[in-house]
Amino acid sequence: MIDKKITDDIGILILENPPQNYLQKPEFIPVPELMEWVEGNHLKALVISGSGRHFSGGAKLDSIFAMAEAGESMEGWMEKGKELLDYLQDLNIPVAAAISGVCFGGGLEIALACHMRICSENALFAFPETNLGLMPGLGGTFRLGERISLQDSLKMILGGDMINADEALSLKVVDTVVKNEEPLLYTFHFLRKITEGRPLKIINYVMQALKNSKRLSAEESMREETRMFCDLARIESDRRKNANP
Amino acid sequence: MKQTQHNLVFNITEGIGHLELNHPPANQMTAEFFYEFNELVDELRVMKGLKAIVISSRGRHFSSGANLDELLEQAVIPGERNHPEINENWNTISEKNSRSFLFFEEMEIPVIAAIRGVCIGSAFEFALFSHFRFCGEDAVFGNPETTFNLIPGLGGIRKIAALCGQAKAIELLLKGNTFGAQEAQLNHLVDKIVPRRKVVEFSMAFARKVMKNYKKQKASLYLQQISLDDPFYI
Repeated sequence: MIDKKITDDIGILILENPPQNYLQKPEFIPVPELMEWVEGNHLKALVISGSGRHFSGGAKLDSIFAMAEAGESMEGWMEKGKELLDYLQDLNIPVAAAISGVCFGGGLEIALACHMRICSENALFAFPETNLGLMPGLGGTFRLGERISLQDSLKMILGGDMINADEALSLKVVDTVVKNEEPLLYTFHFLRKITEGRPLKIINYVMQALKNSKRLSAEESMREETRMFCDLARIESDRRKNANP
Repeated sequence: MKQTQHNLVFNITEGIGHLELNHPPANQMTAEFFYEFNELVDELRVMKGLKAIVISSRGRHFSSGANLDELLEQAVIPGERNHPEINENWNTISEKNSRSFLFFEEMEIPVIAAIRGVCIGSAFEFALFSHFRFCGEDAVFGNPETTFNLIPGLGGIRKIAALCGQAKAIELLLKGNTFGAQEAQLNHLVDKIVPRRKVVEFSMAFARKVMKNYKKQKASLYLQQISLDDPFYI
């Protein structure tokens, strides 16, 4: 279901269920497995993409109904799915979604949990859940609402409206539209460019500071930023002393 | 205004406080600079009658930012300097500097940064706490701290993310590259580019216009109203 690869300290996760890469369950990779892979390999960034032409069509209806019929465990499955997306969002390394083709429902929820979204010109985005008597169940409603206006969120979620790459860019659902290049390749090179030569601790601190800026008060986040700065200053100072005794 | 101030000049004309960094060409934000700066902010906290603040620098450049060697030195040991207060633990000094920056963000009167030339590192962080930023076409911005194995430490990360969004903030902070006025404007880090020789004049005219009945939450509306072609400004 998931293909994992590492190149130059960058983790590449491919949703592997072509052609539509439907998600068989919300937790497309167990958090402990992902955590061990990221931390054990000291990865500096992560890119998530879909195998082949599409990112992901989301969950297949029969999977959802099968889960619902299984009864007791559905909320548990959903909870695990949410934990996975929260884990991705909270990771202190850049996590990017590289999107071509279809990015619907649960697939869009995965993309929204990432720190940045890069797509091709042919990408299409939608929350079709309400057309099927459902709603985004993995925090997608919330994450979309954080990024775009309520009006546009409602159009997408209640209306099941599909938007294309240009619309997604102007709404800031995606950050970059790439032309004449595979989003995955572009994203990989982009992540490598911004992380190469940067110690993991620096990357971690920048991501942590960004997280703090959204979750803490101005004063608290600034104090934390100062604390991290001082930690790095001491490390750098020692490094210089050892280099030039 | 203290006679002993060297690194900063502050004058009030018609209610507009004009703060100028005064150590050209680099206007470096040294420990002495921050000492004077924090003192000025303490005065501003209790000053009455100010209607707006315009921040600019004497000379070609806004500021090259903090002195890196000093920063590193002070993070490790309380340095011995001329001003006894600077013997404090670095955390305290850095927090004081951050709080001074935050003061400008929290002011209920308009705070406008008028930027020419280089504005990087701590200087860029400082400028980001202004309510508005106008710059010359020659302006150069950036946070190169990560290229020195550091991070911006004075609150700039929070400000930059709020203006240009998370994805762009990640890119700019980790790459640590400098960029020009156009790119800054594209990323909403600067509000308007004006001819470099007119930046201060423009900022003053803008201040006069918006300081009447200024509503901070509506800052973006004021920007929509201004036009370079408006003879009022040039």
